[in-house]
Amino acid sequence: MGRLKAISKYVVIGIVVVLIIVAAVAIYVMQRPSVGPTSVELTGDFEKDVVEVGKALEANGVSEVTYSVWSGGDPNSVMRVLGIVEAAHRINKIWSDNGVDVRIKVETRYERDPGAIYDEFLSKQPLGQAGDFFVNSYIYISTLAEEGYILDITDYAEKYSDLMDDFYPTILDAMKWRGRLYGLPQDTEARPLYFRKDVAACAGLDLTGLADKVKNGEFTWKDLYNWAKQVKDTGCADWGVIHRKGSAHPDLIQFIYAFGGRLYNPDTGKLVVDKEAIYKWLYVEWKMARDGLIPENMMEWDWGTQIHPTTVNGKTLVFIGGTWHWTEWQTKMYYTDPETGEPRGLKAEEVKNFFYYTLFPAGEPGKDPVTLSQPYAWMISSKAGIKNPNYDALKELYHELAFLILVKASDPDINAIHSIISAHLPVRKASAQLIADENWVNKLKNLEIDLSDDVKNQIKDIVEATVNPINTEFLSNVSYMLEYTHTTPIHPLYPKLAEIFKDAVDMVLRDEKDPAGAVQYIISSVNADPDLAAEVEIVGEIPGGWSYP
Amino acid sequence: MKIKSKGFFTRRTSEALIFILPALILIIIFYILPVVLSIYISFTPLKNWNLDRYLGEIVGFRNYEKFFYMLQHDPIIRNVFLTTIVFITITLAINVLGGLGLALATYFVSEKLSAPFRTLWLLPRMAPIAVYSLVWYYFFHGSEIGTLNSFLMHLGIIKEPISWGHDIIPWGPWSIIIFVNGLVGVSFGMIVFTSAISNIPKELVIAARVDGASNWQISRRIFIPLMKWHILYVTTWQLLSLLTTYAHIFLLVQWGLVSRQYGTTWSLYIYQVAFTGRTDQGLAAAAGVILVIVGGILGYITLRMLGFEKMITRPRGDI
Repeated sequence: MGRLKAISKYVVIGIVVVLIIVAAVAIYVMQRPSVGPTSVELTGDFEKDVVEVGKALEANGVSEVTYSVWSGGDPNSVMRVLGIVEAAHRINKIWSDNGVDVRIKVETRYERDPGAIYDEFLSKQPLGQAGDFFVNSYIYISTLAEEGYILDITDYAEKYSDLMDDFYPTILDAMKWRGRLYGLPQDTEARPLYFRKDVAACAGLDLTGLADKVKNGEFTWKDLYNWAKQVKDTGCADWGVIHRKGSAHPDLIQFIYAFGGRLYNPDTGKLVVDKEAIYKWLYVEWKMARDGLIPENMMEWDWGTQIHPTTVNGKTLVFIGGTWHWTEWQTKMYYTDPETGEPRGLKAEEVKNFFYYTLFPAGEPGKDPVTLSQPYAWMISSKAGIKNPNYDALKELYHELAFLILVKASDPDINAIHSIISAHLPVRKASAQLIADENWVNKLKNLEIDLSDDVKNQIKDIVEATVNPINTEFLSNVSYMLEYTHTTPIHPLYPKLAEIFKDAVDMVLRDEKDPAGAVQYIISSVNADPDLAAEVEIVGEIPGGWSYP
Repeated sequence: MKIKSKGFFTRRTSEALIFILPALILIIIFYILPVVLSIYISFTPLKNWNLDRYLGEIVGFRNYEKFFYMLQHDPIIRNVFLTTIVFITITLAINVLGGLGLALATYFVSEKLSAPFRTLWLLPRMAPIAVYSLVWYYFFHGSEIGTLNSFLMHLGIIKEPISWGHDIIPWGPWSIIIFVNGLVGVSFGMIVFTSAISNIPKELVIAARVDGASNWQISRRIFIPLMKWHILYVTTWQLLSLLTTYAHIFLLVQWGLVSRQYGTTWSLYIYQVAFTGRTDQGLAAAAGVILVIVGGILGYITLRMLGFEKMITRPRGDI
């Protein structure tokens, strides 16, 4: 018994000693002092900066740096993550050419729902488990910056003034929060109104010169009502207007601007509920739904089986969509082939033959047409590189490298490829020039361009389906819309307000509330939340005697 | 051998502690600690999961005040409570009575028939939540692609599709969430009650049969009185489960099948506040703590009403 007791004692002591040794080694490994430089002064000379960062990493015994990139959106926009993969590939090549023995490895995650990936980023970033790069809408910048979840890249970016100057200024401004830069533009878009040419012809509506009339404010939502009614009355289509739902609220927010309203007061930094513009917007929705021109249950329509099939199969005159739908309709099987009865994607020629596009018309005479952009941003997590060796000591180096990856991912060709295959608009002037270069577009069509094999393989099918003169012509034709673009406010509470708007639209479409009641609902909902109430100004009045159409 | 009897740690209590220690550790880690943490978080301004910044800051009852203010002024939150009450009351009745009915019904038919029948009722519980919810999403869909609408239109009963989860307010969305959750919960009661019935001595049933008792009389006079404990267990368990369940409802609301206004229950509301949009974990924790208190009170009332105390009293030995 005594012997057993002694053995037990030694076993326990042995375990404790082993644990202490393991803990000491772990602490040493985690906090071992750096032997090389822990940061590099960026100069703006990209290759030089990359080589210096690589050498510094090498001197610190780092041979591989792993980053992960998270993003989401439509399937054709996968370059949002592959752009980072390609950038890493190009930096690896520079290192290889300069004898630097360090490699970057990129793990990608691309989801259909950008909102869901944002929610996940928010909950995992504080734990250091989120993506090192986060590519998502600029609307999240304010919250992420305020919480310190993304890197302030202002100082780095100042060294790369040539690149910054090449971005379109309004889009670069959208990447800023309280005057500091938190991301680089990845893409942007316009939200055209798509008119079905065959439906218009059937109803005797002439589309000739309509884009100019819309641009000049000669064709407004009042005229659009009459067109939609004519289509419905003649039985040429089931619906006059179809729009998106749920999280797609930016499409509908265009109404506020089209009726001359505003959403943000730059002087006070507060959100604005503009009663007059919102009332008119909701009135249009309510009236159209009552007259059977918009489905009452529009906000619960299914994307894959209702919204897009209704549009591409010609059951509506108008679809309020985005530029990216132009290629989405070519790669997703929303269309039912009239001969075989089988679903398939539209051919580029068919998209061109079916659809005419204009700006979002002015709400009423005297107002201006609009479009709305929600640029995507390349953002860097403030914990970028955390999974790599000796993070605490080499944090600055990992951050600098992450920034350099963003610089590379902003290469004109990477941005141009993304724009063409996803029908988003370029964010740089150099990318726009490349898109206009027929020779380069042909090379892209045959994938005879300088891209890593990995990226080539992943975009092969999308390139095959989307790269053609028709799509590049479309991008050129819609570029002018950016001159009319608005953005939604960069305010941490804007998503909450937008959610209330979404509920109000649903209510008027279903006739649960009339437009005035829905405006009152929005105001009550804002006032019911003390945080929101403190950040929202309610302006204007419901116009008396306003009629629509 | 002398038995130590000093203080709390007698040999008897020490032995008992060793036996219950594994379970106690699990309960502390997975039940007590989360509750304590939730209570703590409810007194902090925690939002956007920024633990480093907000977890050390105490704001007193601000989250509770905000919650009650919103309850008074926000029509959506008022509807959340109404929905929760209706949802729990009706679904609980379906779960308990449905489970009991199924267990009794399958007892009186041959095993050949009852086994597959019972398995069928287990399908909703066995199916992955997303798949199961998707089935009902397409079944109740408010357009012609919905199975129910398509069927009724085919029969000529309706001419236009009905948006079940939105048009018939509030009973449309309520009916859908009650139906979908009710089917899942019924199987739980069915299993417990079937097991209980199978443990009742057959002699009692045979004797009743000899006396000419019908199935109904056997159920009412023999089975139900002998299953009181099980009924109590299923009722209390299901009540607390329904108070906190949100997975199926979340998907149905998220996919737009049912109106958010009348499809959101209290637990789903907590989830939405904590995890979506501008996440406010402090407020969500306050709403969660109140839910725990309400759950505790309801659980206590149920146990009292169904005579739990009487059932756990030691037999007096004079039976």
